[in-house]
Amino acid sequence: MHKLNLVGVAICLASNSAVALDQGDYRLNGFGTAAISRVAGAQDAKGYGISGQTTDSWRGDQLSKLGGQFTYGVTDQLAATVQTVAKPEQDDWRLQLEWAYLAYSINDQLTVRAGRLRPNAFMFSETLDVGYSYPWLRLPDEVYSQMPISNYEGADVLYNLPTSLGTVALQASYGQAVNRNIFIHALDDRLDADYKKLLTGSVSLATESLGTFRYSYTESTLSVDHSDEFKGKFMSLGHQFDDGAWVTNAEVINRRSPISEHDAFYIMVGHHFGDFLPHVTYAQHDESDAGRDSSWAFGLNYSVNANITLKSEYKRVESTNHYNGSFVPAYNTSEPTFDGDIVSIGADFVF
Amino acid sequence: MNHFARNLLAMSLLSLALPPVQAEVAVIVNPGSAKAPTQGEVANIFLGKDKSMRGVDQKDWNSTKEKFYAGVASKSETQLKSYWSGLVFTGKGQPLPSEAGDAEVVTKVAAEPDAIGYVDSSAVNSSVKVLFTLP
Repeated sequence: MHKLNLVGVAICLASNSAVALDQGDYRLNGFGTAAISRVAGAQDAKGYGISGQTTDSWRGDQLSKLGGQFTYGVTDQLAATVQTVAKPEQDDWRLQLEWAYLAYSINDQLTVRAGRLRPNAFMFSETLDVGYSYPWLRLPDEVYSQMPISNYEGADVLYNLPTSLGTVALQASYGQAVNRNIFIHALDDRLDADYKKLLTGSVSLATESLGTFRYSYTESTLSVDHSDEFKGKFMSLGHQFDDGAWVTNAEVINRRSPISEHDAFYIMVGHHFGDFLPHVTYAQHDESDAGRDSSWAFGLNYSVNANITLKSEYKRVESTNHYNGSFVPAYNTSEPTFDGDIVSIGADFVF
Repeated sequence: MNHFARNLLAMSLLSLALPPVQAEVAVIVNPGSAKAPTQGEVANIFLGKDKSMRGVDQKDWNSTKEKFYAGVASKSETQLKSYWSGLVFTGKGQPLPSEAGDAEVVTKVAAEPDAIGYVDSSAVNSSVKVLFTLP
């Protein structure tokens, strides 16, 4: 019934669509990252990173990925999009269907989408695999290790409103992600997880001269490894700025469940010098009653052309209270320390 | 004569050293257009945030396009590509339709009442109205 009403409204308001293509029109786009990374000096750890894949040998299978996206205009208002990404998961390369949805543009400002989508939980959640869209090779591990799932099945609503302050974008989504594998660093293993009643709401304001401000709230019921259901909540507050000279990115997140509470943030500053972008990032992550891991990262990017950016990064991670943070512990001592130097080199591209 | 030759030599050297005369970029609309967006609103139209007018982009990256995006949106070619990547791969936008060359942009803007484009000011003719120019 609701659906029927929605379609009725849509037909009344239909005009130039915000997102959809003209009928019969299609777009094929691709993106990728080719990069190697290595951690040195982490004697008590087997690996580091969002999926624990960075080890003491140079490996290309943590950061590298290749994605393709196809969008087809079914009608002037309705578009179908499929995005697949080939990326490593533990020691295997897998082809994942990250996005598969129908988008209906009700008018210039309002779009409804349904299918497999990405939750807009953190600032870079939706472009996690598109390295070209952010300055780092490694998204700050301290924050992005806290984001457990990359997609869900459900629906979302996008609303855009140009105002005198800037463009306001609202997004709300509802759905579920069941039978997902989430990586647990302390176990060096993936556990089966079910996210149900997954609800995300975000609001952003893109101003002309002060950058973009963004807030999001996510909640979900969770069952890990067939446990009883419990509730998890995520919050993110972020800011992005790039005036052609200075670049800054900052994000504060909180993740809470009956099991633990995590607070993390990063702040990044860079400056464009022609095609070069040197940048520095401080990131910190605290787990309640456990410890803290923090890092300084120094990067240098070089824009080869409008499709390719070469990137290099040096990151120093330290932790307190024998806390493993984003390290995979080796358990070869009872008093482990988790710190290390991570070097990453590679290229991000779009085509 | 010698003096004249020396002057001529100096002038020709000078003309070699100086960049060619900088053309202006003209932001153009249909003569019948009731709307007159400000520079900030034009930026929003060309960044896909404001759909109240149909932006007609230049297909290839040229000096006109470079000046336009630097002028209205403070974006280089790379930054613009990065911006659109963020929208395309999240399903939140598609780059605007584009025309290859100033003459084609002028023709398109002259033909559509709610179209807006930008061209080298030398390409402007009476079929379109200049909203403002960028140096």
